[in-house]
Amino acid sequence: MLRIENLTLKYEEKLAIRQLSLSIKAGEKLAIIGTSGAGKSTLLAHLYQCLKNDAAYSSQKQGLVEGLSTYHNVFMGSLSRHHWSYNLFNLVSPFKLPLSEVTLLCQELELDFPVSKRLSELSGGQRQRVALARALYQQKDIFIGDEPFSALDPLMSRRLLDMVFERHNTVIMVLHDKSLALEHFDRIIGLKQGQLHLDARQDELNSQLVDDFYSDVPPPAVSPILTGSDV
Amino acid sequence: MRLLHMVCLALLSTLSTSALSAVFTFTAIPDENESQLRTRFEKVALYLEKELGVEVKYVPVKSYSAAVTAFRNNQVQLAWFGGLSGVQARRLVPGSSAVAQGNEDQFFKSYFIAHKSADLIPSDSFPNLNGLTFTFGSKSSTSGRLMPQFFIERNLGKKSEDVFTRIGFSGDHSRTITQVQAGAYQVGAVNYKVWETAVENGTVDLEKVNVIWQSPAYPDYQWTVREGVDKKFGAGFKAKIEAALLGMKDPDLLKSFPRHSFVPAENADYEPIESVAKAIGLID
Amino acid sequence: MFKSLPFIGYWQKTTLSLWLIAAQCFYFADTEIISLDPWNEFRLMVEGFIRPDFFATEYLLEAMWQTVSFALLGVVFGLLWGAPLSLVYSNRFVATLCALTRSIHEIFWALLFLQIFGLSPITGILAIGLPYGATFARVFHDILLQSPKTTVQTLPYGTDKVSRYFYGRISHVLVPIMAYIRYRFECALRSSAVLGFIGMPTLGFYLETAFRQGHYHEGAALLMLFIALIGTISLWCRPRLIAVYFVAALFTLPSIPPVDGALLWRFITQDILPPALQNLSTWSQIDLGVMKSLSNWSLDLLVEQAFPGMIVTLLLALVSLAMAHGIAVAGSGLASSLLTGRFISKVTHACLLVIRSVPEYIFAFIFMMLLGPSMLPAMLALALHNGALIAYLTVRQSDTTQVGPHYNGRIDGYCYDVLPQIYPNLMGLLFYRFEVILRETAIFGILGIASLGFYIDSGFSEIRYSTALFLMGCTALLNIVVDIISRRLLTANTGTQISCARDSATRADR
Repeated sequence: MLRIENLTLKYEEKLAIRQLSLSIKAGEKLAIIGTSGAGKSTLLAHLYQCLKNDAAYSSQKQGLVEGLSTYHNVFMGSLSRHHWSYNLFNLVSPFKLPLSEVTLLCQELELDFPVSKRLSELSGGQRQRVALARALYQQKDIFIGDEPFSALDPLMSRRLLDMVFERHNTVIMVLHDKSLALEHFDRIIGLKQGQLHLDARQDELNSQLVDDFYSDVPPPAVSPILTGSDV
Repeated sequence: MRLLHMVCLALLSTLSTSALSAVFTFTAIPDENESQLRTRFEKVALYLEKELGVEVKYVPVKSYSAAVTAFRNNQVQLAWFGGLSGVQARRLVPGSSAVAQGNEDQFFKSYFIAHKSADLIPSDSFPNLNGLTFTFGSKSSTSGRLMPQFFIERNLGKKSEDVFTRIGFSGDHSRTITQVQAGAYQVGAVNYKVWETAVENGTVDLEKVNVIWQSPAYPDYQWTVREGVDKKFGAGFKAKIEAALLGMKDPDLLKSFPRHSFVPAENADYEPIESVAKAIGLID
Repeated sequence: MFKSLPFIGYWQKTTLSLWLIAAQCFYFADTEIISLDPWNEFRLMVEGFIRPDFFATEYLLEAMWQTVSFALLGVVFGLLWGAPLSLVYSNRFVATLCALTRSIHEIFWALLFLQIFGLSPITGILAIGLPYGATFARVFHDILLQSPKTTVQTLPYGTDKVSRYFYGRISHVLVPIMAYIRYRFECALRSSAVLGFIGMPTLGFYLETAFRQGHYHEGAALLMLFIALIGTISLWCRPRLIAVYFVAALFTLPSIPPVDGALLWRFITQDILPPALQNLSTWSQIDLGVMKSLSNWSLDLLVEQAFPGMIVTLLLALVSLAMAHGIAVAGSGLASSLLTGRFISKVTHACLLVIRSVPEYIFAFIFMMLLGPSMLPAMLALALHNGALIAYLTVRQSDTTQVGPHYNGRIDGYCYDVLPQIYPNLMGLLFYRFEVILRETAIFGILGIASLGFYIDSGFSEIRYSTALFLMGCTALLNIVVDIISRRLLTANTGTQISCARDSATRADR
């Protein structure tokens, strides 16, 4: 589905990704882990740029609009499906069909309040779910998410992750919660200082390996890429 | 150039309302007591309506220049002007004429009033005002600015800016009295009728402020009719206006101006005002 | 100059400089107190306020309604032309055009339109709508610039331009824009009243007359009504009612007197030209002699009116700015519930509301009576009005400021905990208001203080339109120069504000 080689990217004038090669197959459930500043978000944004025709992207900067209602914030996921005049009219007075769709989606996401509620009145966890709802409402084949559950409790994260899997063929997600990554994804890659330091299928992985990745393994310059160069 | 001229003219004339409504409108410059101004002048409008046989409307204005502008733009066809504003208006609309003036306006005068701290003694000869502070009334007032400035400059032989340490324009005659009485200015020039009314009403404290000089007589307020009223309202309309004004005898109506009666006037009566305004540099 | 003082930060430097400059200006300005006997008049004024006479004014309800209606129509007109322009405001030509329009006070626009349309409602609506539209264009543009770009970036691929713009950008700024329109409507009410001073049939028409003629019972009543009108906006100005008001305003407009096209033509081709160019029928008549008299004319105007007027305008504005700063700092401190407790802060709050609602003109009038006809009354009037406004806006921020558990509620605690947090915003508002103060000096020109406004007013009252227009041009230029300078200072400010915010963020992290 996608193959990148020797990718180098900059983020705010600093080298974020160095000579990274990676290929992703359709239908894969891929988790990306790594410490802060390892270049995960930069890589994810690049992947989205490559796949944007078929992908929904849930960015860490949620891009929510404070002044609008929950409904409108979610509806924004479907902007590309409608004519601009439809969208504008909907801004003034919501249409019935998207309203019922969005209401249903929000209920599934356990957002148990009226969708007319302003975004500025929501809590951090609720906002994150609204951002997620917007990505789901894009109804794309691929889901690209940048820590979409960081503000949620582990139980809810699992339930929502199932929803994401249910609705998307391919899922690429940056995750903080390594157990979530280990339990649910078929492939995990680890980034360190812009380079690939870990690339393993679920069956090859265990908690220990991931812990090693996070702790003091040899410095990146001399460290070889561990596994997975064959994919 | 000529083509552009024509096109613009055509555009402008379509923009402006082409059908001028046949309402006769008049205005009067604000002076003296302005409270209930509209109510009082609407009575005058009713009187004129009865005498002229057309619908008459009064347009309230706030300043001398607004009255002149309304006259110039043909938004009023008759106006009660001061000496200077009348001259300005008739220069802007050639063919307009003064038709009536107040009985008092044939020999109008200004008073110079001074706060007691200025130590000026009332006298017939022109006082020595050098180095004092002075306030005029409104900038376009004849009795509060034009004539006082003229007398100052003629008698003291220099520009008024060089005579006084500070010159103000209080805005109107009653303000001039208040300001001089409060000592904000040492000397001020005021319309003599306003002063006399204020003294009658007891709003002046003669211990603090009093008249120190009165000016020679000059012509002042007048009714001016705009050019072309005969064409618009029928032949002889101007004469009808003149007759109506001169025939205004109701003291209640005359009180608004305030005059005892109106007498005939003509443009030539105001030539002295025009030459004074030119001498001072208020008109070119 | 401040280099050797490590603890004097950016804001302290700005504040000290402002006060140093203002002190120098104060020295050069005419601030003599001349009033021997103001108390009699003052007593009358106080009596007027104790026993206001609400029935002395003719056509009172009509005047109140017209004040609202002119303000509403003016704002709508301003929105109609200002809002679309905000989208192309980054165009330099548009920005300059707006800056020029904005820099001329409503009252001068009104004086100008008065010559064209006469005492017609068009005059009032245009006079409010033109400068307001230009302000809308700039402010909306600034607000749009600040709207976060993250939403646009996260919109689904393939979203069309219009939807992107409305959902991604406009939706973000809808709340601040609506708040700004509300605020401008309040300003428009004041402007609308002020237009009464030159003859529009609004409250100002009667207010000015009453004060000028010493009918203080009537004047006090009108002033109270006006403050009540502004203070209760939130009660009578419901979003749903606005449409109703708008229609009512259109239907109850005073009749529009006809405009004579030929006269209008003469006005723009003859009356507003400098004397040397009047009575020329073709361009070819312009020769050396004409050019010479033209340059003499403009030189005379520059030396005798424009420059002295500009100097007075600047002195007046700068001193007022520093005074407004003092009032704003003191006022926001007194009104902060963190410093003075609930009761005093409530009382101060109410005072600030009243002070900022009173037109500067009325303050200047009262102070002129007490202190004499120097520049001091105008300075105090401008400082009070603007200082109160800034304090009012700052308190809204300081009331939501978080303080640590160690906060002691005393003046020292306030200076350590609250003041540093609200100060950048206060200074930002202050510099923004400078442009406004400069424009407002216009009104005092009409009261007799020899600012540029005084000479412009003289030009109109002597029916010398060319002089008035020339001086209006000078005013516009002066305002634009000052605008550019204060904008520079402001961008320097926002830079530090951002770094301050970052500082506190990192501190919070630790």
